[in-house]
Amino acid sequence: MLASILATGLAMGAVYALIGITYNTMFATSRVMSFTAGQLGMLGGVFGSLLMLRWGLPLVVALPLTLLAAALVGVVTEFVAVRPVLRSLEQHLYVLTTLAVALIIQQTTAIEWGTEPAPFPRLLGLGEGVWHEKYWLPVVACAITIGGLEYLYRRTLLGHAFIAVAEDNYAARALGLPERNLRIGSYALAGAIGALAGFAGGQLLLAFFANGPLLNFYGFIPVALGGLGNNRGAVIGGLALGLFQQAANFTVGGIFSSVAVFTLFIIVLLAAPQGLFGATASRRV
Amino acid sequence: MASADHGAAAMPGAVPATRRKPLLPGGLLPFLLLLALAIALPLTGNEYWALIATRAAIYWVLVAGLNLIVGFAGQLAIGYVALLTLGAYTTSVLAAGNVLPEMPPFLALACAAAVGAVAGLVVGLPALRLRTFYFAMTTLGFATIVTQVALAWQEVTGGGIGISGPYFPAPFDNAWGFYYLCLGFAVIATLLAGNVGRSRFGRALIAIRDAEVAAEAAGISKPALLACVFLFAGAMAAVAGGLFAGLQTYITPEAFTFELSLLFFIAVLIGGRGSVLGPLLGTVLLTLLPEIAAPLAAWSTLLYAVMLLAIVLAVPGGIAALIDMGRRRRLPADRAILPRPAALGALLGQRPAAPPLRLRGIALHFGGLRAIDGLDLVLRPGEVHGLIGPNGSGKTTTLNVISGYYQPQQGSLALGEAPLAMGRPESRAGQGIARTFQTPRIIGEATVLQNVMIGGTVAGHATFAEAMLWLPRQAADEARLEADARLALQAVGLEALAGFRADRLQHSELRFVEIARALMLRPAYLLLDEPAAGLSAEEIRRLGQLIREISAHGTGVLLVEHHADLIFDICGHVTVLNLGRVLAEGRPAEVRAHKEVISAYLGA
Amino acid sequence: MPISEPEAILSVQDLHAGYGRIRVLHGVELVVRTGEVVALLGPNGAGKTTLLSAISGLLPHEAGSIRFGGRDMAGAGPRETAAAGLVHVIEGHRVFTQVTVLDNLLLAGYGLPRAERNQYVEEALEFFPEIAAKRHERGGALSGGQQQMLAVAQGLVRRPKLLMLDEPSAGLSPVLVDRVLSVVAALRQRGVSVLLVEQLIEKALAVSDRVYALVQGKVALAAPTGTEGLARKLEAAYFGMEPAK
Repeated sequence: MLASILATGLAMGAVYALIGITYNTMFATSRVMSFTAGQLGMLGGVFGSLLMLRWGLPLVVALPLTLLAAALVGVVTEFVAVRPVLRSLEQHLYVLTTLAVALIIQQTTAIEWGTEPAPFPRLLGLGEGVWHEKYWLPVVACAITIGGLEYLYRRTLLGHAFIAVAEDNYAARALGLPERNLRIGSYALAGAIGALAGFAGGQLLLAFFANGPLLNFYGFIPVALGGLGNNRGAVIGGLALGLFQQAANFTVGGIFSSVAVFTLFIIVLLAAPQGLFGATASRRV
Repeated sequence: MASADHGAAAMPGAVPATRRKPLLPGGLLPFLLLLALAIALPLTGNEYWALIATRAAIYWVLVAGLNLIVGFAGQLAIGYVALLTLGAYTTSVLAAGNVLPEMPPFLALACAAAVGAVAGLVVGLPALRLRTFYFAMTTLGFATIVTQVALAWQEVTGGGIGISGPYFPAPFDNAWGFYYLCLGFAVIATLLAGNVGRSRFGRALIAIRDAEVAAEAAGISKPALLACVFLFAGAMAAVAGGLFAGLQTYITPEAFTFELSLLFFIAVLIGGRGSVLGPLLGTVLLTLLPEIAAPLAAWSTLLYAVMLLAIVLAVPGGIAALIDMGRRRRLPADRAILPRPAALGALLGQRPAAPPLRLRGIALHFGGLRAIDGLDLVLRPGEVHGLIGPNGSGKTTTLNVISGYYQPQQGSLALGEAPLAMGRPESRAGQGIARTFQTPRIIGEATVLQNVMIGGTVAGHATFAEAMLWLPRQAADEARLEADARLALQAVGLEALAGFRADRLQHSELRFVEIARALMLRPAYLLLDEPAAGLSAEEIRRLGQLIREISAHGTGVLLVEHHADLIFDICGHVTVLNLGRVLAEGRPAEVRAHKEVISAYLGA
Repeated sequence: MPISEPEAILSVQDLHAGYGRIRVLHGVELVVRTGEVVALLGPNGAGKTTLLSAISGLLPHEAGSIRFGGRDMAGAGPRETAAAGLVHVIEGHRVFTQVTVLDNLLLAGYGLPRAERNQYVEEALEFFPEIAAKRHERGGALSGGQQQMLAVAQGLVRRPKLLMLDEPSAGLSPVLVDRVLSVVAALRQRGVSVLLVEQLIEKALAVSDRVYALVQGKVALAAPTGTEGLARKLEAAYFGMEPAK
């Protein structure tokens, strides 16, 4: 049972962590928390199933195509839901516009793809039991993503530009950084990361149009715990959440485990609204 | 105090044409028309229509309460279906006698309302601490949880199999009878929500949404106010849930989809924030839409989402803005701000002189930066006290300490002998300390008159419940606030603009609106934060006169300003700050000739 | 007919700008010539920062014209102006604290070919040996004075024809102020024009050729620094009247 808790918990935790990173990536350049994060995860599963099972494409083609398509969705989100309301951040209109876009994505999927969960193919055909690939693929995807992001943010000028825009948008603009293009780039990147989460976790989550809100909520918890924009916090928070949820699942039963997660979430949020490693509030007057 | 009568005396012939007061926001007529239509609906004889209309009425019972949270207070509660679910199950379970002895349906409904009120409060309270997106997420999470509990708690809720809804006795046991019952609840919901919306509580909610800092300065307590609204909205939602269960006759957790939650939320936004009529029309529209337009549930939700996006991006005011005829009314051309001292006398009247306001040894640092470094300052009633100094010298910080926004690490602040609580901005209004802001904090979507009335919020006597029922004390409050606000607007010279939306005014006019709002407190002390910034030379001259007049009525004024000429012109006493300390103080002429002042200013 | 003189590198005419409803600049006229250091003075809230932001395109202007190097800069954003050689170092030494000094400078050359970028960064560092020694430390590890030097150095990476410095002395000790302003003199020798916003009037005047005083969004005074009785004129411009005695 312990092995099973660990395997499922880490797998789900890695998916949540990746969705958390998706939130963070969009937030960094735009200060927007986007409801589309969970939908990108959902699309990863649906695209994967569509390309590999319905169209019969091999993994090496299907995965890049999935990431590309989701990156495009990310860019469209930036154009439709983020850019028009950036100027009026005071009113938090972005909550509404990204919610609307997230719903449009979800309902379009429901209409085009169907409302029943569809199977997701085995990707590599490796492992059985608790070593089944469906348990470790998300963890591997999460590790690769974190490694890639660390390289990007630490070693490349492009990554530094992302950091600069995230830290001080105005100074970055004054310096002549292409802030707008960087923002679009970060939305494309977030799209790919979100889809990777859904793709890697596809065998657990299936290709199901209604996965979005669930991933939204459980992917947001690591962000809330780790503090906005903190990717390492999101990974730790995500894995902890996954393990906690599965442990509660096995001990007190599935339904009440969600109640436990929610209660814990509220308590932590109220006790530390900025996250456990969060930043301070800004001056208001 | 009786100010309504001298209000009338002070403005002979100056009564604006917009004096007629609507009974409900947006006027009563559209509501009556809708009601007439609703009452006449059985004439169609089509029971299918009865079902749709009943549904719309039930949804509106919920949305009427939710509207105060989302539309008025601006709190993005997207998971309100949770309270509908809770109300539906509470009513059904109590009526069925699963837990307690069987109850009559209306008693069960009342119990559900109580449970809903408490749940509404519990779900809502995180809004006091969390930012918008976080709050939206917690309500979303709560919606998921309630459904899952309903599924899991089989012995009470029947789990996935479900439970029968309450059976409402004759005459409500047929389609049209039940429709009239729900319509009755909808009318009550409209009245209660409408009354709150047009009371000082409704204005305070909008102030919290659009100008939270100004709301605090006006003495509005966000926790108390939001708690009232959450209780009310929770109760309404639960009643709606009970009726919903009655309509369904049999409920399962699947009946309470997240799509329903979105319908409620989007109905408010499509209707327009801060309106009652708009969200009502929005609810009716969204209930009808799937029946006419879309055969598939997926299509109707897609339609809602597209509408939400279109509303936010293209018509931020929603239906309410589209049907608001006054919106396009032309502002008076070649208008000017002409303050009238006479109205000031009528408004401020004779008051006992306030004791001096003393700051002793105030020290405040942000991190390593010392903003104020041991400051002593005395404000006296009836005196204009200028506070000047170079950038970063601590002027505005001082003002923020006095008005309670900043909590200094050292020092004391006292009004006479009574110490003032540090870091409690909402407590200042009650002590007669009013302020304006460097950037005017105005509610653009409210009229100028409503903006000014917000300044007098603490002067109201009626409770939230009295306002909801529009009892005599509430009516008296409202009349007095409006009369005072008109006087204050006359005093600053903007009475001609009372009925216009504030976001149509020029920047300089907004500065005077802020002063009018501050005057509503009949302040003992008025703190002005750069009131002349962005004003023309002529407007600055009039501002100077106005400030002098205000102080002549016994109010002590603290004037933080960059315009040195204005300071030296109207102040009785000037303090010059540099690096958080007093560099010089005294009468203007003394300070003006002070060598160090000149060099501090010129940076030599 | 062209009003700008041939050697005017920047000419601002009848410039109106502000934030939303708040108008800050009401018809500003200003000229900077090649190789000239111009001090822009004025009391708080006069619109100095707004003026620089409007010139660099950080803030779109509502009316008036800005010509730089003979080009009309209408609609140009900060990227375009920086690429044209008009660089704005904003106030408050807002360097990026999470990346190294070197990366801060490389970011200033974002979009340039790699070889050029590296070369320009080294050139900029030559002005500030103090921070060149700390090139691998994070921006956040520098002192306020060093951050200000880094901010100025960032401005130099683009090899500006005109460098606009917004209050480079703010929060610095007098020694550091002199150090930062000495760079202004060095730049002038190399033929770079500088538009300098300063609170420390005497220090600003010491390095400048000409001075503008901006009061309430308008130019109240424009004069060469050598003008007789300049201090009195500035005082009158600031306070809006003569002393009371």
